[in-house]
Amino acid sequence: MPDVQSTVVEFVNKLRKRKIEGSQATAKYTVELLRSVISHQRVPHANQAAALIDAVKAVGEQLIAANPVELAVGNVVRRVLHIIREEDLSLTTAAMGGLDLLDASDDDDVDNCKGIGFPAMSAAVVAAAARSTLRPPSLQTLLEGTPESATVPYTSSSGADSESKSKSADKSSLTRKLKHDVIEGVNQLIQEIAGCHEQIAEQAIEHIHQNEVILTLGSSRTVLEFLCAAKEKKRSFRVFVAEGAPRYQGHLLAKELVARGLQTTVITDSAVFAMISRVNMVIIGAHAVMANGGVIGPVGVNMAALAAQKHAVPFVVLAGSHKLCPLYPHNPEVLLNELRSPSELLDFGEFSDCLDFGAGSGSLQVVNPTFDYVPPNLVSLFITDTGGHNPSYMYRLIADYYSADDLVM
Amino acid sequence: MHSAVYKVGLHYLSWDISGGNARCIAMLQAFQEVVKDYSTPPENTLNRDMTAQISSYVSFLIECRPLSISMGNAIRFVKNRIAKLPITLSESEAKASLHSDIERFINEKIIGADTVIVEHAVTKIRDGDVLLTYGSSTVIEMILVHAHELGKKFRVFVVDSRPKLQGKLLLRRLIKRGINCTYTHITAISYIMHQVTKVFLGASSVFSNGTVYSRVGTACVAMVANAFRVPVLVCCEAYKFHEKVQLDYSICSNELGDPNAISKVHGREDINYLNGLTNNAKLKFLNLMYDATPSDYISMIITDYGMVPPTSVPVIVREYQKEHLLQSSKIVI
Repeated sequence: MPDVQSTVVEFVNKLRKRKIEGSQATAKYTVELLRSVISHQRVPHANQAAALIDAVKAVGEQLIAANPVELAVGNVVRRVLHIIREEDLSLTTAAMGGLDLLDASDDDDVDNCKGIGFPAMSAAVVAAAARSTLRPPSLQTLLEGTPESATVPYTSSSGADSESKSKSADKSSLTRKLKHDVIEGVNQLIQEIAGCHEQIAEQAIEHIHQNEVILTLGSSRTVLEFLCAAKEKKRSFRVFVAEGAPRYQGHLLAKELVARGLQTTVITDSAVFAMISRVNMVIIGAHAVMANGGVIGPVGVNMAALAAQKHAVPFVVLAGSHKLCPLYPHNPEVLLNELRSPSELLDFGEFSDCLDFGAGSGSLQVVNPTFDYVPPNLVSLFITDTGGHNPSYMYRLIADYYSADDLVM
Repeated sequence: MHSAVYKVGLHYLSWDISGGNARCIAMLQAFQEVVKDYSTPPENTLNRDMTAQISSYVSFLIECRPLSISMGNAIRFVKNRIAKLPITLSESEAKASLHSDIERFINEKIIGADTVIVEHAVTKIRDGDVLLTYGSSTVIEMILVHAHELGKKFRVFVVDSRPKLQGKLLLRRLIKRGINCTYTHITAISYIMHQVTKVFLGASSVFSNGTVYSRVGTACVAMVANAFRVPVLVCCEAYKFHEKVQLDYSICSNELGDPNAISKVHGREDINYLNGLTNNAKLKFLNLMYDATPSDYISMIITDYGMVPPTSVPVIVREYQKEHLLQSSKIVI
């Protein structure tokens, strides 16, 4: 436990100081940390899921508070909570089926009864999982505040000691099985995050065609792999990269594209409107995708989206599923933005000869935001690791990944 | 080659003189020097020979930097004046007449027009306004300074863009005058547009269909302002209007700047990512100078003939040309 605690503190410090760059790296570190938390958590016999959920929530709140703008942290925490709830529901259903089997069986027909019970159990699990994801929180649940995990109905047995002992053994194995299943689910999530680039890049062949011109902004590894996958399939196309002053992420992306052999042209940010009429498609990576289908992207991306809409150019957003955020963007330009150092725009002391305070000179402020918000009506298509989707479908995709109870933490 | 024209050309090359008005005034003043020092060769007429000389000087200036539309219109004015000179005038009278014509053009169509535009535009600035301007425009600076002198309380967002970063020059001049400013790059335009109440933009030209031709990035600013329902006011002198119709000026007739200006990031060696890559065959740099803003993004065009919607531009073009014809008729009479 002290080992996990020090790891949490270390990660919180990194998040607070913005040492980890990029949503994917942040998501990876977060999910690995939560796996350690789950692995080391001691769970009681009753309400194992509630204990795990509370532990993950406690750590998750610390991580989210450390960097509120990095939405991938909250996304991953909610995904892990969803995994715990799903595994608990699955085990509860299996346990009910098992008890029925035990109660109904006699020594001679044990094998036959188990065989008959399997299809019913599977159907019950599927139906319960579907109900769990779609069920809105009921008023009774909200008022009573009871945990969602259904407790196993325990019937006092008048059987022999051997039967009581077997039930105790079942309960103990259920506890270990829950944690084991949760860790397996978290491992799958880790692989999903690590492999989202390949999943998205596989779809490049369908969207990029011969002799097309692609415009992109920002520096996104997903976009880089997407374009390189199309290049490897012998698609001959050109890429316009906006330079993205004052951070010049576009220069970085252009350098990597040229190293991979793509035909690249760097343009100024101000030339986006001028060039958009010659562009076949705009492709960007997203920092986050909100519940309404809006996109948080690198600064300047809303300008490109408006220009693309004006010229009827498709605006395509690439996003791994770890970037889907169940929050609604209230006032996203301010609350979901981060202001960087003014020295990226004006050097310190550059205007000090003009700013003679008290002598009638004007004041000077410098604005250097990191992100832009793009409303969903400007987005033509989302490409995620599960395929292409309309912005209007994102809320449904989000319902698959998150539990309703975890939206507010 | 006249030394005055040669000097102006060098200023164009080194970008010491930039901006439509400044370049036009410098060129016209050089032409005045040419006229002053001119003498007619024995076997030629003044009209034909001076026109040929002016044409050769214009070719030299085009080599230094392509003409702006305002300069093209001014050159047409000068050649028209030369062609209209009566044969009965003596050489000294013709030269004096031409010199005063050019002087009047500068004073009325450029400097006087700016004064009228400032008077019109200042009426649109109210206390508490948050104004946004892009790059550096002389007439916009005059408007802001005059509004400040009238005691109006407002803030100015100065939006800038690479690689020229001309907004810094405007920012410096405004702060010295005591105007409260906020500085940002064009990528952050969506972030700051919520606070803006009006957008003032300069223009290199306005075409007959209302399209505004201006420094690259102007279309982006007007587009984002339009998306946020912020009025866009374009300030442009009438002599910069053109009867041409153009839907997309960005590729057909644009001017290219130095490509290496994009790959180089001055003063910050840590993020010079593309240093050493300028010779790569796969990597190109495109440094456009102008773009075309569609007329539906523009709320109002403020000109020396008044404040008009973009749909009225051809009316002003016609009135402008008619005025010159009338002057020609008077001279003939």
